[in-house]
Amino acid sequence: MELKPIIETQDVHKHFGAFHALKGVSATFYEGQVTAILGPSGSGKSTFLRTLNRLEPHDSGSIRVDGIELDDNLKHLDAIRREVGMVFQSFNLFAHMSVLRNLTLAPMRVRKMGRKEAEEKAMALLERVGLKDQALKYPVQLSGGQQQRVAIARALAMDPKVLLFDEPTSALDPEMVNEVLSVMRELAHTGITMLVVTHEMGFAREVADRIIFFDHGAILEDAAPQAFFSNPEHDRARAFLSQVKHGY
Amino acid sequence: MRWAREHPAWTMFAAMVGLLLFLWGMAIPLSLAPAPIGPAAGLFADGTRVTVMLTLVAGSAGIVIGVLAGLGKLSAFLPLRWFCNFYVWLFRGTPLLLQILFIWLVVPQILPESVEISDFACAAIALALNVGAYNTECVRAGILAVPHGQVEAARALGLSPFQTFMDIVLPQSMRVALPALANNLASLVKDSSLAYAISVVELTMVGYRIQAESYQPIPVFLTVATIYLILTTAFTTLTAALESQLDVGRKR
Ligand SMILES: Nc1ncnc2c1ncn2[C@@H]1O[C@H](COP(=O)(O)OP(=O)(O)OP(=O)(O)O)[C@@H](O)[C@H]1O
Ligand SMILES: [Mg+2]
Repeated sequence: MELKPIIETQDVHKHFGAFHALKGVSATFYEGQVTAILGPSGSGKSTFLRTLNRLEPHDSGSIRVDGIELDDNLKHLDAIRREVGMVFQSFNLFAHMSVLRNLTLAPMRVRKMGRKEAEEKAMALLERVGLKDQALKYPVQLSGGQQQRVAIARALAMDPKVLLFDEPTSALDPEMVNEVLSVMRELAHTGITMLVVTHEMGFAREVADRIIFFDHGAILEDAAPQAFFSNPEHDRARAFLSQVKHGY
Repeated sequence: MRWAREHPAWTMFAAMVGLLLFLWGMAIPLSLAPAPIGPAAGLFADGTRVTVMLTLVAGSAGIVIGVLAGLGKLSAFLPLRWFCNFYVWLFRGTPLLLQILFIWLVVPQILPESVEISDFACAAIALALNVGAYNTECVRAGILAVPHGQVEAARALGLSPFQTFMDIVLPQSMRVALPALANNLASLVKDSSLAYAISVVELTMVGYRIQAESYQPIPVFLTVATIYLILTTAFTTLTAALESQLDVGRKR
């Protein structure tokens, strides 16, 4: 299979005040690839993900998404945000809007889609995540798992090329984790590019094409799941894995 | 009241229609009352219309001012923040009557001679600036209460800062700010009576004149008080309904 790069980061640095959160991250992600990003708490996983759509601007280095340089040029930013969807740990559904409106807002505002078309599309997506009958409810009326599935559908409504997930199941009660993971598993087979920060080792092992292990603001390991889980190169990764195995 | 809470849109509509009917039809039942009220029914009705107009004009302008200044107070641009702080400090720290008189006396002097500004407009401007200063604090608190994740989600979807504000932040902050804004609006109904000082013929002024002619202050002022109570109750009902309408997203 011919691999086409969709996200290219080159020596990306990020500081929060004096704290050096990203220390020269370079990685290339390819179209259709599903990457699981693992690492201990505070290692910079979320920060890295958030620099990719500029929720956190990076200090130096370069980030290119679909060939567009991510910089202070607002046109570039708009173009990139249209291609990159994001799913948050805490769902962040628009609390004052119905599920349907959550899904139609961005296509109507940003892609200038008509209401009818946007609603048809939204209903199709809701059906895909198994929530067609919840379209007129408000986010607080849904369970956490349902909210996260709506959030995934909301991101998909913009037809992104890339989906970023920041610990999408960490805020969920255990019995709801699987319904979200199975939606993500199905997505992974559709050819969309996914970057998933997660603590779900089972998911990472089964679904991901590639594992990236973060430690202290840098990529320590970048390997196929098989290799990473059976034989990690670094002690830090090995320690992390044994801790996760026992801790979760 | 329970019905009102469950059908907020209809309650709002009913309150609005009731208010309008009351305004236009008030002269009819009032004219049946004995003197000194009956013969002056038309005057009461006119005065009420002026009071309501003053409240609506100053109230809506005050909301816009409150939103703009509330945003200004949160701006990263320091001079703008100073300006908005100064505005709030000035209008909350001086008497409303003084503000009304000041605008009435000063604005016509600043404007070119060809432009005429009515007493009503002067009163409306002063009231709008005054209530706007109080609204500013409510709006600011409302904006700060919107979780940052809401903004991030909107920005990540590609909405512009302006779209994010109009579609996400403003509606959610209004839900928080509304009770306080409603309070300010109800006060405005009463505060508008100070416009009598610059000879705007609103409800209080009408009452004052009628009692001066009839030498019967008790029935006249009772009538005026009743009309104010009906107005404030209608406004309160209206905003309470609006509140539960906006609250749908929070109900379980
Ligand atoms: N806005 C911020 N201001 C200051 N420090 C921050 C900010 N965001 C993150 N940090 C710091 O940067 C470091 C990396 O944070 P990040 O959220 O990327 O970690 P993470 O790998 O996602 O961890 P976790 O698994 O706990 O989510 C942490 O030490 C954190 O305290
Ligand atoms: Mg994180």
